[in-house]
Amino acid sequence: MKALKSEWLKLVSVRTTWALLGAMVLIEGLAAGLATSLGDIDDLRKGNVSTFIIGTHLATVFMFTLGALLSTSEFRHGTANSTFVVTPRRERVILAKLAVGLAVGVVGALLYVAAHAGIGLSILSSRGVDIDSGLAVDGYLGVGLGLVLGCEFGVALGAVLRNQVLTIIVGLVLFLLAGTVALFIGTDVGQYFPGEALLALQNTPSVDLLSQTSGGLVLAGYCVALGIAGAALTRRREIG
Amino acid sequence: MAEITVEHLTKRYGETLAVDDLSFTVEAGRVTGFLGPNGAGKSTTLRALLGLVRPTSGRALVMGRPFHELKDPVQAVGAALDAHDVHPGRSGRGHLRTIAAAAGLPSSRVDEVLDMVELTPARDRRVKGYSMGMRQRLALAAALLGDPRILMLDEPANGLDPQGMRWLRDILVRLAGEGRAVLISSHVLSEVEQTVDSVVVIGAGRLVMQGSLAELVKGDRRPALVRSPRADELRELLVHAGASVAVDGRPDSMHVHHASLEEIGTLAAEHGIPIFELTHEVTTLEDRFLELTGESGNVR
Repeated sequence: MKALKSEWLKLVSVRTTWALLGAMVLIEGLAAGLATSLGDIDDLRKGNVSTFIIGTHLATVFMFTLGALLSTSEFRHGTANSTFVVTPRRERVILAKLAVGLAVGVVGALLYVAAHAGIGLSILSSRGVDIDSGLAVDGYLGVGLGLVLGCEFGVALGAVLRNQVLTIIVGLVLFLLAGTVALFIGTDVGQYFPGEALLALQNTPSVDLLSQTSGGLVLAGYCVALGIAGAALTRRREIG
Repeated sequence: MAEITVEHLTKRYGETLAVDDLSFTVEAGRVTGFLGPNGAGKSTTLRALLGLVRPTSGRALVMGRPFHELKDPVQAVGAALDAHDVHPGRSGRGHLRTIAAAAGLPSSRVDEVLDMVELTPARDRRVKGYSMGMRQRLALAAALLGDPRILMLDEPANGLDPQGMRWLRDILVRLAGEGRAVLISSHVLSEVEQTVDSVVVIGAGRLVMQGSLAELVKGDRRPALVRSPRADELRELLVHAGASVAVDGRPDSMHVHHASLEEIGTLAAEHGIPIFELTHEVTTLEDRFLELTGESGNVR
């Protein structure tokens, strides 16, 4: 519990956290507004919510970055020294970071849905487009969970890699080049890559992806595996 | 029992031997200076004591145990390793609150230590804007949070102005007077010589000496700085008496080796030569260290 409170304070006591969340909400609200107000009315009628859930990649990158900073800024700024002197049971620190990552991931997802659905759905309804509420819930649930897991993925990957720049670059490659990887190595294996799993979870229309549920489970599996690896490595490794 | 016991500690990083069979102890109720040139292995030793690095062989014990076996590490040891170990975007108070929370201490304790290090007026400013002296105070505040029995401070005087040095000296002496063991590292002897009661001197990872400050300074062969309006005359007398004298271009001053201040003063008085200044030159630990070990100027 002590570690949990400390990690939460670390998160909320820097401006970067608020800047990332704020920028994400702003961009996603804008994207939803533009897509729904400028989109062709027939396309919007034909499609489901996923046709206007654009820009979610960027939101995931923002949440991933937020998670990665939770782990890596300790090493970037040297606070790992005092953190692990005060809490010598180092795995507790990593577990607390994962828990806080989950919490802020949920906060980010709720903010995203509030901004995106609030603006997007109201513009659609004003243009007379009816959205299947079941599809809307599935769509937003997928994207929301994707943001939570994206954040968690950042915390876990950061705990393994420690280096801030390296962690963010690896994350960007995995998530922004998603789809491309599968193309090159074939979908049999490629569909299980983190970026591809995220696309599946977000209900991206494509024939070569896992189902939404499987995508979510695969991505969650990566988070658990990296989280365990991060905790084990942090226990063993030397600090500084 | 000694508060800190280092026994045959060896730490190797690949090819580099950072600490080499080092043994020493640190007692409660005094300020111990942990001295050695840059790269001598001071920080590595402190990190081993704090459980941040694992010894290759030997032991580094706090209150008789390895750090990770301490029941309450925060009450046992307060450490400040590097004044830069702060997120620059956090306020001083915010930084301390994250540590206090991890230690299970109330935030009222944060305000207490901020007061102790006289940082209260700046507590809500972001650390980004702190001077080096303020960062050192903040690091000390963090170390004091748990009201620990042992304080370990790595180069706490680094970057302090003279006023800050005096302040640090007073607070460290007071903390040791309360019965705590205080271990401060430094590579500059003059920085700590007025603060420490005893010293542990290391070089190239090995113990050079452990003892009181008096023992370190004993046999001190620091040159004397002499200023006199009749410098030429005095120089001849000193050389005749067996001292060696170097000049630095200023007509009234000289640097005298192999003669004590008493000998120089007496000689000048005997010949009625006025003396404007007669003092030991400030020596860095490196000089003293090189004297002690007789090694060349290269730090590995």
